[in-house]
Amino acid sequence: MTTVGEHVVVLDGTSAADREVVGNKGLSIARMVGLGLTVPPAFALPIDECRRFNAAGGTLGDDVWRAVLSGVAGLEERTDRRLGDPERPLLVSVRSAGAVSMPGMMDTILNLGMTDDVEAGMARLSGDPGFARSTHVRFIHEFGNTVFGADLDEPREDETAEQARAAVREDTGEEVPREPHEQLRAAIHAVFGSWSSRRAKAYRRHWGIPDDGGTAAIVQAMVFGNLGGESGTGVLFTRNPLSGDAQPYGEWLPGGQGEDVVSGTHDCLPLTALHGQLPDAHDTLLEAGRLLERSNGDVQDIEFTIERGRLYLLQTRAAKRAPLAAVRTAVDLATEGAIERREALRRVSPEQLATVLAPRLSPEVAAAAEVVASGIPACPGVASGTAVADADAAEAHDGDSVLVRPTTSPEDVAGMIAATAVVTERGGATSHAAVVTRALGRPSVVGVGEGATGPLAGRELTVDGTAGVVYDGRLPTQEVRPADVDGLEELLSWAREVAPVEVADAAPDVLDLDAEGLHADPEAAPDAVALTARMRGAGAVQGTVLATPEGARAALAAGVRTIVALPGQQPAALLLALVQEMTDPQEEKIP
Amino acid sequence: MSDMTLLALHGLAVKKAGSAQDVAAVLGRGEDEVAPALDEAVGAGQAIGAKGTYMLTPAGRSWLDERYPEAYAELRGDAEATAAYERFERVNRELLALFTDWQMMPSAGGERVQNDHSDADYDHGVIDRLGAQHERAEKILGRFAELEPRLAVYTRRLDEAYDKVLAGEHDYVSGARIDSYHTVWFELHEDLLRMLGREREEAP
Repeated sequence: MTTVGEHVVVLDGTSAADREVVGNKGLSIARMVGLGLTVPPAFALPIDECRRFNAAGGTLGDDVWRAVLSGVAGLEERTDRRLGDPERPLLVSVRSAGAVSMPGMMDTILNLGMTDDVEAGMARLSGDPGFARSTHVRFIHEFGNTVFGADLDEPREDETAEQARAAVREDTGEEVPREPHEQLRAAIHAVFGSWSSRRAKAYRRHWGIPDDGGTAAIVQAMVFGNLGGESGTGVLFTRNPLSGDAQPYGEWLPGGQGEDVVSGTHDCLPLTALHGQLPDAHDTLLEAGRLLERSNGDVQDIEFTIERGRLYLLQTRAAKRAPLAAVRTAVDLATEGAIERREALRRVSPEQLATVLAPRLSPEVAAAAEVVASGIPACPGVASGTAVADADAAEAHDGDSVLVRPTTSPEDVAGMIAATAVVTERGGATSHAAVVTRALGRPSVVGVGEGATGPLAGRELTVDGTAGVVYDGRLPTQEVRPADVDGLEELLSWAREVAPVEVADAAPDVLDLDAEGLHADPEAAPDAVALTARMRGAGAVQGTVLATPEGARAALAAGVRTIVALPGQQPAALLLALVQEMTDPQEEKIP
Repeated sequence: MSDMTLLALHGLAVKKAGSAQDVAAVLGRGEDEVAPALDEAVGAGQAIGAKGTYMLTPAGRSWLDERYPEAYAELRGDAEATAAYERFERVNRELLALFTDWQMMPSAGGERVQNDHSDADYDHGVIDRLGAQHERAEKILGRFAELEPRLAVYTRRLDEAYDKVLAGEHDYVSGARIDSYHTVWFELHEDLLRMLGREREEAP
């Protein structure tokens, strides 16, 4: 790392970065640069500067500011752009970067350096005055919200920068600076000041984190996928995050910028389109993906922008994946030697395994059944019952019931708890019904249409909350066996190799913990000491409590040899939970 | 009928079913004031009570609906209240989206998968957004409390839920069986809708 007057660290990969100095985000940038990858140039004000800033009552020393200015000069030199120059404008992002993540720290400010002149310049450069104006307006909103704590409406389509400034002024009495260096200074103040925000302080108090730490501030040049030809933006997954297939998967939006890909408001093209348009950039991207996956030991989700044919990596992180993909990629990475088998066993959660193995409707059964309603899938799973039209009836119903309502409100919660599934006419994935059923784990379909639930009352129904379809009748569900899931049998065989406990469907002389009154209680954590004492000396045990971490730990501590899975408990999920409890992931840090 | 009866029945309507203590907590009043009013309502056929749990009867509900326009005429005509409610709706939309993100996390291909809370950074991000919305909500509730002081009790209840979330009790984001942020927020929403005579807008 190069330092400028010791107050600023240039993230140019010249030496190893330290999390305690430049924070997590600074470290991530430095690592990518260190691997020889192209990242927009950046520098950090280290965590120590935040300490000094707060110790000095919220002021930035003159020597620090001079170092920031020379850091900016470095960005200008490397990008051949200048802050505030309408012909070749440099815009930067400013963000906080702590060594540990913590609520209350300042959000990112993008497009800092925007002025009326720069807006006019960008309108000429991009040939798109609307884009230049909305970039300027979004900057003013973001600056107003994060630096001054404004509470503004979303920008209007035709809002101008002057109107946005007026809105900030009206809400906060503050003026968004028109001069780029003033903008930068205020943004750095806001990052360092956020360490002392009410939320951050409350969080530290709860967790016993000392107040004398701080956050780094990262200043990074912005690149644009919509200025000139051979440009665009996209996302690369190094493996398919839905199936786990070991093929790169991604989206490419020619001429797109920033949030365009993630926001889902634009139709993106597959990666093959990038290959056709810019084969060199495509190959460089895939090579970068392989490098990052190997270096980080996990499937990567990489955001990139191509500016005039040149590829920039903006961010990389471990990819989110569907449960099926979690199993497959964990096994593949271990087989390829990228990770240890024990690590692979930690990459799949017992909940993901339970989802993968959950009973489902076979496609044949679903195809032959009568669809009585369809809508938005709100909580996954399949359940059947008699349709009841109100919450009281669900509570009173003997046996399985499906609550069908125009919409739900807090008055219906007791009925939703009593029902096996829920269907509503109005609302979407964020409606009350959706939020509550997900909390309860009840399969649900919402937004099936006005008046659609009325005729259903009294009928036997099957609700497929994964597909968003309601069927007539009680349909048989299909068991999923480990052999049906790519890689799962292998993963389970590794689990059995390390587990000192066997999980079985039946065993002689089973100690039934539920019969002993030692059952899982959603209101209170089990008493591990009493559980361990009761299980000591027992060869085989069964019980609901064994599906809890405390129960698994107690079984291990008591030296139990066999756990018998109850109906509804997934033996594979129990086994995996045991192995994870045994290897104590809390102690291990995945780099 | 006393004002306390109206208030107690309003609290019961917000809660749907509950003990005098539950209703008193919603209203920020003493149980000793609320219990006699609820018992009186039972006597008048406006509520039913069994084993300490009360519920409105259809007659009680109609009586309440008829009384709202007059009881809250001033609030309904107040421009300040209308403006505050519009701000409330904006925060409401953000919060509902946030509760969804808490329970279902986006994965590739736009699909959402159940959040198993194994990604601490993701959870932190959502909790951080909750904190930001909580600060907005406090301002809005401050305005409402100037018009209807009783509503200040929601600030305290939301604070308690948020505090528990910060302390790592993650069920207090959207747990359905406890006074989670979502539970309290929804009661607040119901309370405002009833007083202001508005219909619930279903979330997209």
